Amino acid sequence: MSAIKKLFGIVWSLMGIGIVPLVIMQAMKEIAAKPSEENWIFWSIVIVVLMPIIAFSLITFGVFALKGEYDTIE
Amino acid sequence: MAQNVTNVSQTEEVSSTRRVIAASSVGTLIEWYDFYIFGTLAKIISEQFFPKDNPTAALLATLATFAAGFVIRPFGALFFGRLGDLIGRKYTFLVTLVIMGGSTFAIGLVPGYKTIGFFAPAIVFVLRLLQGLALGGEYGGAATYVAEHSPAGQRGFWTSFIQTTATLGLFLALGVILIVRQTLGVETFSDWGWRIPFLLSALLVGVSVFIRMKMSESPMFVKMKKEGKISANPLAESFKQKDNLKMVLIALLGATAGQGVVWYTGQFYALSFLQNACNVEFVQSNMIISIALLIGTPFFIIFGALSDKIGRKYIMMAGMLVAVIAYRPIYTMMYNEADLKQKTEMVEKTTVEIKEAVKGTDNIITTVTKKTFADGTSYKETKKETIPLDEVKKAELAAAGKLKPETKKETTLPQSIYIKMVGLVLIQVIFVTMVYGPIAAFLVEIFPTRIRYTSMSLPYHIGNGVFGGLVPLISTRLVEATRPAPGLPPADPLAGLWYPILIASVSFVIGMLYISNKTNNMDVE
Repeated sequence: MSAIKKLFGIVWSLMGIGIVPLVIMQAMKEIAAKPSEENWIFWSIVIVVLMPIIAFSLITFGVFALKGEYDTIE
Repeated sequence: MAQNVTNVSQTEEVSSTRRVIAASSVGTLIEWYDFYIFGTLAKIISEQFFPKDNPTAALLATLATFAAGFVIRPFGALFFGRLGDLIGRKYTFLVTLVIMGGSTFAIGLVPGYKTIGFFAPAIVFVLRLLQGLALGGEYGGAATYVAEHSPAGQRGFWTSFIQTTATLGLFLALGVILIVRQTLGVETFSDWGWRIPFLLSALLVGVSVFIRMKMSESPMFVKMKKEGKISANPLAESFKQKDNLKMVLIALLGATAGQGVVWYTGQFYALSFLQNACNVEFVQSNMIISIALLIGTPFFIIFGALSDKIGRKYIMMAGMLVAVIAYRPIYTMMYNEADLKQKTEMVEKTTVEIKEAVKGTDNIITTVTKKTFADGTSYKETKKETIPLDEVKKAELAAAGKLKPETKKETTLPQSIYIKMVGLVLIQVIFVTMVYGPIAAFLVEIFPTRIRYTSMSLPYHIGNGVFGGLVPLISTRLVEATRPAPGLPPADPLAGLWYPILIASVSFVIGMLYISNKTNNMDVE
């Protein structure tokens, strides 16, 4: 079980890292295609609020899992 | 004799716990009521305070909806959580109640944009922020307070009463709005009657403050204070110490994020889907949600109590899993039941009524089409065209593509489909009760008493407020992305479900792998 927890730690960290360029690229693409106020507000909320929370929490959680911090939890 | 003394003592303990639950739950319910009436009346509030032709006011409207719900709630959690761990639970969640009630009452008194101009949206925006701040501090306080009064082994059962308040608060908000709207009529309600639900808050909060004033401080907090174990810096201890931070992260990613999306999908997205994708008429759609909420509410307590027996983890995870699997089939059924293309129209009963009236400098043409279908469904489409009498202005608007008519579609479902819809929403409410019923007990048990209020409030409000609160925004966006062209129906009206499905799936995997099913005894550390 510990090995699986640690292995998934890599997955969470990679997801956290990967989400940043993915969201920013998608935002740039959509805003360039249609630079409406609606688009700006939507992507601002996603980039300023949602993305940092997801990225920070997944990366930190992944690193903890990889280091075996959760191994004692059954 | 000794047996009698024990029985009396147990009866007194249960009675005292009941008083604690009642006082805490009523206050929390009122806070949710206050928070939801703003959201439920968003359209009217927008018309009164945030006119569309003023871009700044329109921006404030968006921010008022999102900032208060998402950004401010976690800040409220941090601010009041810290206060609750430093000065006590009782006074802190008394303060949040007063702030919430005061700001809600004040919203009901603010003059409209037509009277005081830009001050109107600015004041409402600030009051909405105060509401979000207060809500961020309330829940953690109430859950912690109740849990710290509850006997070991029954914490899931007793805290589940707090868990019913969010749903009952929504139910109360919908109920009050429907009653006031039906009593005053739609026009009077839109004019000034919408203020009544806000003003009513003062009375409800007054009663709740009176009850809460009489309550005593949490016994665990009192003991900790006596022993001098109170945290000097709850924020630093909660989020800078690795041992606690890792539990904050597990609570957020493995529980509250998934719970948040399931909660919002089962209640708010379901209502929005009924009204916008299925075009179900306002009163009927609200009634469908209200009945499902009312029938589903006891399940919070059932699953809360069950979690004392079999553990919190598996109930919450099962709720997430069944939600992930069942959402698309459920919403497909809801869509099909209301889809007019799949029904047989009784053409001989179709009526078209056209009215023309001059209002100011405009000619207003209203076309009302009524259709009846073989299964008893009725459909009403009201198309309102506003055409300037001035030919030059008319040509200008036409060239700018601004002469589009406003169309309102209302489907009224027959009894049999109405009951089916209630059943389909009820299933989603049951999922909500599975993930939400045990979560307060789960959260309070994974954090130590000295920083419990701070530590549990933040993951709860990020999970519920940010992950859950973004369901309407992101889901609407996902549906819009499948629309081939403006004005055409979306290719996949269920595309909005991918967001809650994805978040709940990740939460399920993390929860299953890393969360413990064991409950701790929550002693003062």
